[in-house]
Amino acid sequence: MTKDKQAKSAPRREFLKLAGLGTLAGAAAAAVGAPGKAQAATAEAPSASGYRETEHVKKAYELSRF
Amino acid sequence: MVRREEILEEDRYRAQFYRLLGRLLARAPDEDLLKQLRDLKDGKNAIEAAFGALAAAARATTPAAAAEEFQDLFIGVGRGELVPFASFYLTGFLHEKPLARLRQEMAQHGIERAAGVSEPEDHIASLCDMMAGFILGEFGAPLPLAQQSDFFDRHIRTWAGQFFDDLAAAPSARFYMPVGALGRAFLEIETVAFQMAA
Repeated sequence: MTKDKQAKSAPRREFLKLAGLGTLAGAAAAAVGAPGKAQAATAEAPSASGYRETEHVKKAYELSRF
Repeated sequence: MVRREEILEEDRYRAQFYRLLGRLLARAPDEDLLKQLRDLKDGKNAIEAAFGALAAAARATTPAAAAEEFQDLFIGVGRGELVPFASFYLTGFLHEKPLARLRQEMAQHGIERAAGVSEPEDHIASLCDMMAGFILGEFGAPLPLAQQSDFFDRHIRTWAGQFFDDLAAAPSARFYMPVGALGRAFLEIETVAFQMAA
């Protein structure tokens, strides 16, 4: 990250910290995946149609099935 | 380009927050999730207060009661009390232009609906999950903040606030009432944080 970008992102980082999103860390994190442990799926090579489908995409849509 | 290992802690928390909202809005909570929500700490600011209220609501419900509530809110007989789709909120109908625009953009990012899922992609839970995926780099490299902001602006900000307000005020909402407050508070934080980065 460039210095300029870092300087620009500092107030945002501070704001997000103060906002209290980290409250999640101790409790519900395990249910939805702790930060730092996020598993990034390796995207498969784009198919002929230009679409890629990752395991996470499947996960995304299984979530909204009801 | 941001590499996955360079994702800031604050951004990981944002992703986690989207994941939690997505999870709660996709299906009723099971006992495991309720158990963990019960331990959330109360606090002073809007998010912390909403977490406190969610913890209390989780203590006051059971998986069976929450499932019934979810059914009334989102499924119902014919239709639930709420219809949590962007297209519905923005046009009054499902499958309208907002969904078409989202599908175009999903195709650009290489995201598809999984086989066997019939709900349109502009469900609030899917959108939350996509945001989490963009932040964490699950659809390729982590999406730069400016592009996250654009996606948020186009597909979420315009209607999700109203949806979360409706959720907080829905007749059947008990456990889900603080979920509405939490979603609303988080949207406001996202909106301000994106402006700070612009």
